[in-house]
Amino acid sequence: MSLFIVEAVVIGFKEALKLALVWLVFSAFLLEQNRQKLIIPFYWGVFLTFLLSLVSFFIHPDLFVKDVFARLIGYTFFVFFIGSVAALYQSSGVRLFRFRLNDTILRPVVLLLTVFYFLPDIVGSSLFIRELSLMKESYAPVYVSALTGFVVTLAAVVAVAGRFRRTLGKFFGIAQFLLFLSVVKLLGGGIKGFAELSLIPSVERGVIKFVHDVVHQTFVFLMVPDHPLLRVTVWNFIGILFSSSFALWIVLLVVLTPPVMFLYRSFTARIPEPEGVLTGAEKRKIKASIKRDRLRKAVPVAFFVCIILVSWFSGRGEQVSRFYNPKPKPVVEDKGVVIIPLTDPAMDLMDGKLHKFSLLRGEDTVVIIVIKKPDGKLAVCLDACEICPPEGYGQIEDNVVCIYCRTPIPIETLGQKGGCNPIPLKATMTDRDIRIDVSEIDRLWQDVRAGKTKEIVK
Amino acid sequence: MEFISVKDVVKEYETAVALRGVDMDVEKGRWVSIVGPSGSGKSTLLNIIGGLDSPTKGSVFIDGVDLGSLSEDAMARFRRENIGFVFQQSHLVPYLTSVENVMLAQYFHSITDEAEAVEALNRVGLGHRLHHRPSQLSGGEQQRVCIARALINSPKILLADEPTGNLDRENTRLILELLKKLHSEEHFTIILVTHDPFVSKWAERLLTMEDGRIIKDEPLYC
Ligand SMILES: Nc1ncnc2c1ncn2[C@@H]1O[C@H](COP(=O)(O)OP(=O)(O)O)[C@@H](O)[C@H]1O
Ligand SMILES: [Mg+2]
Repeated sequence: MSLFIVEAVVIGFKEALKLALVWLVFSAFLLEQNRQKLIIPFYWGVFLTFLLSLVSFFIHPDLFVKDVFARLIGYTFFVFFIGSVAALYQSSGVRLFRFRLNDTILRPVVLLLTVFYFLPDIVGSSLFIRELSLMKESYAPVYVSALTGFVVTLAAVVAVAGRFRRTLGKFFGIAQFLLFLSVVKLLGGGIKGFAELSLIPSVERGVIKFVHDVVHQTFVFLMVPDHPLLRVTVWNFIGILFSSSFALWIVLLVVLTPPVMFLYRSFTARIPEPEGVLTGAEKRKIKASIKRDRLRKAVPVAFFVCIILVSWFSGRGEQVSRFYNPKPKPVVEDKGVVIIPLTDPAMDLMDGKLHKFSLLRGEDTVVIIVIKKPDGKLAVCLDACEICPPEGYGQIEDNVVCIYCRTPIPIETLGQKGGCNPIPLKATMTDRDIRIDVSEIDRLWQDVRAGKTKEIVK
Repeated sequence: MEFISVKDVVKEYETAVALRGVDMDVEKGRWVSIVGPSGSGKSTLLNIIGGLDSPTKGSVFIDGVDLGSLSEDAMARFRRENIGFVFQQSHLVPYLTSVENVMLAQYFHSITDEAEAVEALNRVGLGHRLHHRPSQLSGGEQQRVCIARALINSPKILLADEPTGNLDRENTRLILELLKKLHSEEHFTIILVTHDPFVSKWAERLLTMEDGRIIKDEPLYC
């Protein structure tokens, strides 16, 4: 069987598994809450999702729309994760909100959330399958196999798992359910086929960049003094913050603190004294049932913690192996301009890979990077940023990665100034080449040398 | 239907017939004594009422529940929540203290609550023996721990099989006075098996058994 077909089946399998599991847990949750009727808007939401994805399939959305959907998956994860964290706090005794929604309000909410939850994945996946079939230049087999994978998996899970609903429901409060949704998203939210079945890599990249930028902005705007010596000291210190996995540890801390606190409270928090005229035995019985319920509700949370830890540790080795860092090609200046041809027999600047060019300026070798962005334009930058020592960048899939601090930077953001982004160069594009003024290169390189990095003073 | 209702219960062993068709009803909150010669089937009947044993024929209803219809798990739960037992031998866990023995019963029922266990021991007059092991207690004191343990989960029924069988007259009287006090406070139903006329006369009603049958059923006026 061709790899395309296998990939299509796996995608169908994955999407169906997600849908079936969410259906199962949601209906179990509703059963436990005695609100079974809310499954109807869920079904409508699923129906609407498929309708919309069918539409998107035929109107051939462009790269931009695809990109929006890819991002939407990440946002969905965060929305549900943050929702579950809030609900966890709520259920561990901190009163954040005090309301009980009735079904009239909940019906549209369930419908919208269902669409919000499934649409990006289903649309993204079906667009990916379309790309697969375009590559294979034969539509039917790819679609059919994806659809088979989907239907078979859905039927299997629904047939086997439906029976456990009563028991399953006891493990899920609203917090656990939202947490479950975000975990499903995290583990199965990727829409790039075999290249990225789960969302973990992109969530990690996104969060790391976020943390990194926040730390960086804070130091740049508030803390780094102008005195050269102090500046070096401070940047030395910040260097620790930017060292290979610091941001990842922060992420882990941020993500795991709420569930771990919840678990801690589940086991240690005092059980409130039951009210009313009861015998000691009756009170103990009520307390025992509260305790049992707390333990049950802790199971999905503990499971979540395990998944995060496992995926975090298993994700790290992978990144290193895919690191791409080409050797710079020497270029020379000609009448104050550096000219880089778009294509030559040995390379294609538009291939989406990172390209490096080196230029001798006095004692220094200045490196320039060029890479095609998802929107089709070329980004031209110095192989250095304003913060770290100019060790340059490598590439991991959709990101360039600072070699010094390992911060991944999404390629579409290249060309923006500041932060950990490579310093952008003004360049003139023609049909055949890129032209950069040497004076521009010199000026920016002097900035890098002049103490904006600690490397130089040493 | 009465609170406890025993209908035509027969219990046959391979070698002997212990009960040959027993019918009895007990009202809620009563104290009933069962007397009769050794081997007449008193313990067998008590165990069947308590769900520790099942009849060969016939049925037992407690508070409307047919014990024969309960699964093993449901029976165990029913016993934990509704019935307390006191036997001639104390069956206390030898390496646990008085409080811990009472807390063990709480644990099997729901969760432990030391303050409540201490309070229960105070009520049976053992406030000064909380942290003694059974071997450090007299026979009468051990039986009082057993009573505290049997009543800790507020059962509706207390089943006592020769609870004073190992005690001298003075200790027997103390135990019976204690039971009388607790019974008047908490209104649980007592079925007490004994062969001792001094013990049986503390009840409100007296059943006499012989050869697997109830042969006499009389009210007692104290
Ligand atoms: N497990 C048993 N196996 C066989 N026979 C038994 C068993 N338990 C009790 N019996 C017999 O059933 C009869 C009634 O016993 P029991 O209820 O202990 O009498 P009581 O308590 O009045 O002394 C006796 O004849 C006894 O030998
Ligand atoms: Mg006996």
